[in-house]
Amino acid sequence: MDATLIVYALNLSAIYALMAIGISLLWSSIGMLNMAHGATFAVAGYGALVVGDALLPGIDAALRGSGWLPFVRLAVLMAAGIGSGALFGAVVYLLAFLPIHDKANFPVRGLIVTLAINLATVQTLLWFFGPRQQALPSIFGFGRLELFGVPIRYDQATTIIATAILLGAALLWLRLSRKGLEIRAMMQNPEGAALSGISVRRTALPVMAVTGALAGAAAVLLSQSVYVSPGAGATPLIKGMIIALLGGLGSVPGAAVAALLIGTLEAITGEIPFLGQRMVLLVQFGFIILVLIIRPRGIGGLLDETRK
Amino acid sequence: MTETLAPVFHRVGNRRHEYVLVPEGRRPWHRRRLPWIGRHWLAWRGGYNPKTLQRERRLSDKRPLWWFLGLGGLGVSAAVLPDTLLQVALVFCVFAAINVIWTLIIGAAGILSLATMAVVGLAGYGAAAANVYLGIPWPLMFLVGGCVGLLAGGLLALPSTRIDGLYYALLTIGVAEICRASISQIRALAPQNSSINNVGSFIPQDWYLQRPGLLLGFAASFVVLLAALLLFRLVNSERLGLQLQAAREDEEFSEAVGIDYRRARLMVFLVSSAALGVIGAFYAMLYRSISLNVFSLDQLLLMFAMIVIGGMGRAEGAVIGTAIVVVIDRALIDLGPGRIILIAAVMILVTLTTHHGLADVRTQFRGWRNRLKSERRAARTRKGGEVMPEEATEIDDKQQIAYRRFDKRLRDRLKALITPELIEEHRAAPLGPHSDALARVLNYFRRGDMPDKYAILQDGPPQGWTYTVMALSGEPGKPPRVVDDRVYDTRDEAYHAVFLLRVNDLLES
Repeated sequence: MDATLIVYALNLSAIYALMAIGISLLWSSIGMLNMAHGATFAVAGYGALVVGDALLPGIDAALRGSGWLPFVRLAVLMAAGIGSGALFGAVVYLLAFLPIHDKANFPVRGLIVTLAINLATVQTLLWFFGPRQQALPSIFGFGRLELFGVPIRYDQATTIIATAILLGAALLWLRLSRKGLEIRAMMQNPEGAALSGISVRRTALPVMAVTGALAGAAAVLLSQSVYVSPGAGATPLIKGMIIALLGGLGSVPGAAVAALLIGTLEAITGEIPFLGQRMVLLVQFGFIILVLIIRPRGIGGLLDETRK
Repeated sequence: MTETLAPVFHRVGNRRHEYVLVPEGRRPWHRRRLPWIGRHWLAWRGGYNPKTLQRERRLSDKRPLWWFLGLGGLGVSAAVLPDTLLQVALVFCVFAAINVIWTLIIGAAGILSLATMAVVGLAGYGAAAANVYLGIPWPLMFLVGGCVGLLAGGLLALPSTRIDGLYYALLTIGVAEICRASISQIRALAPQNSSINNVGSFIPQDWYLQRPGLLLGFAASFVVLLAALLLFRLVNSERLGLQLQAAREDEEFSEAVGIDYRRARLMVFLVSSAALGVIGAFYAMLYRSISLNVFSLDQLLLMFAMIVIGGMGRAEGAVIGTAIVVVIDRALIDLGPGRIILIAAVMILVTLTTHHGLADVRTQFRGWRNRLKSERRAARTRKGGEVMPEEATEIDDKQQIAYRRFDKRLRDRLKALITPELIEEHRAAPLGPHSDALARVLNYFRRGDMPDKYAILQDGPPQGWTYTVMALSGEPGKPPRVVDDRVYDTRDEAYHAVFLLRVNDLLES
């Protein structure tokens, strides 16, 4: 077992964690399953692409040769991705949450509306940008750096560090800010929170914006190694959903643990010569089904209370 | 005092429009039945109408007529449709058949499974491989498809007992992905681009892609759709479906009564999967090939859109939703990617406005209309005991309605008569000569109902009688109840107290 394997596993886990934690957070706080997460992913990728094409040439010219250049590029692309992700999260809030959150049959109807938004957005992106895959401008180039004798690719390092910072920031916000307190109250007990004067509508908007932002960050980070295309959101959506399921839909720490597990599993499966890269999805699925059969509520059932 | 009352006609009753036939009363009624099954064609009810004094036949369930018109129209018009539209109709029949069986899984069994296309695809691949590589003749492909479907259903049913609801739905989305990935890996199955071609079929080779082939294909798909609807009817309205409906309404109770709903769910799931397998084999035969397109996520989402728009849980919903989406997707092909956006927009609109899809719109509308009616009824000024026209149809003894009306009018006139002078007059002489107004009021009081009628209890030693006010219970054997704890020294005071209580009650009624 090689240290590069660990780095690879961490890289994958980081991206999965961004998606899965967003989905889990949304379900546990407002009880809605956001199938439009894949669309958020794709939209954020394209948003970063558009902004990058507009701004980066100017920045390159201004900061040519400076050591800060890669970090500025990273900041610009991440800001664009996070911004467009948050914006799209707000759009989903307006269409899928506001009209039906207090009506009959909300979970299933929310699922359906977000699915429809996903369909429509992917088709719109296809219409506007065409089906060709496009590459985001690379940030650090394709070199490697040596950390404690372990070679890490630049984009892997970026992903792991950026994810750690983003998730840390999101968790700190949840823990320290007023809005975060309200969101945590809603996660624990929605009726109690409503009775305490916490408006579901006012709290749902920041939650959806934040989860959209996380998906946007995932899009920018993943696009370092994979192309941006309209259908790019489908696989991350499915994987994110399944990992959130494994972690227990209502539990955010569960989703983090599950992301780590699945990332490691994927890295290990890729290495075993008998299985190889092709059987990755099958092995992941089999593992998840096994865990869910043993613990129908996922890993989160072990850690804390989950919303049913 | 006597004002002429203009007659006001109120629309009463809750009965929706029923078809009513008035046959000649003397003729005996021969109700036709289906050949071997013994069921009637339409659910006519014979009855006697006491208002018109005639024998009547009413039909309240008109759904068989709509089904007949819709499907019959489709079948008949197919002969004259141009090739492109015939292709659309063919696709509609196949997808509608799949969706009807999917509705069986989601509605009757209550298992939110999104693995339908995976089962169809697996069975299609199995049947096609059996035909192409093992040389099995095409009629037996149905059997192979059914067995593969049954097997796949069995594998999918295992987790469904432990994992429920949305969890299971999300899992099954991934199943189609896995099938696609796995099949594209198996080189032996499909050497080039993972599709199997030149599959044997009921359409002869030289008819394929010509008009006769299209017509034959459409006829076969139409038969498949009818078979799927028949299967839906057989499962949903017979024992299995009724057991599952009981479980849907109250799980613990149905288990206590002895219904093994878990086994029933499993049975329905297996039967549906086998049926989907047969349709998968048919699909392979229809196009004479099968490719990985059948597993695509977009196709699955489109099918899901079909049942969502129509309404999950009803066969009519599956067919209506399929019709809408297939027409938009295949017939309006000039719109390009705008088609999918239109379908998504329709999906969003239907989900946001209806509770259970388009097929249930009438029930939802009626519920909304009834709610408005009752709100308006409650907002009208209180009639104080007079019977509303809507309630009058439910009361059998119409004399009661007339009496309540008379009573209300009487009370209104008496309320106008009650003045402080009247009360003072009674206080001065409770039993003495009364004026006309006071006499009328007292007559009304004395005619009151026994339950809760006020009476005076005379108590105590003969030297110091005390009087309290009681209320009679009206039931034999039940003692009267004490009204308040005021004790009066003279009978006149007690009479006046009773009078005041009765006046109070009158003014409040």
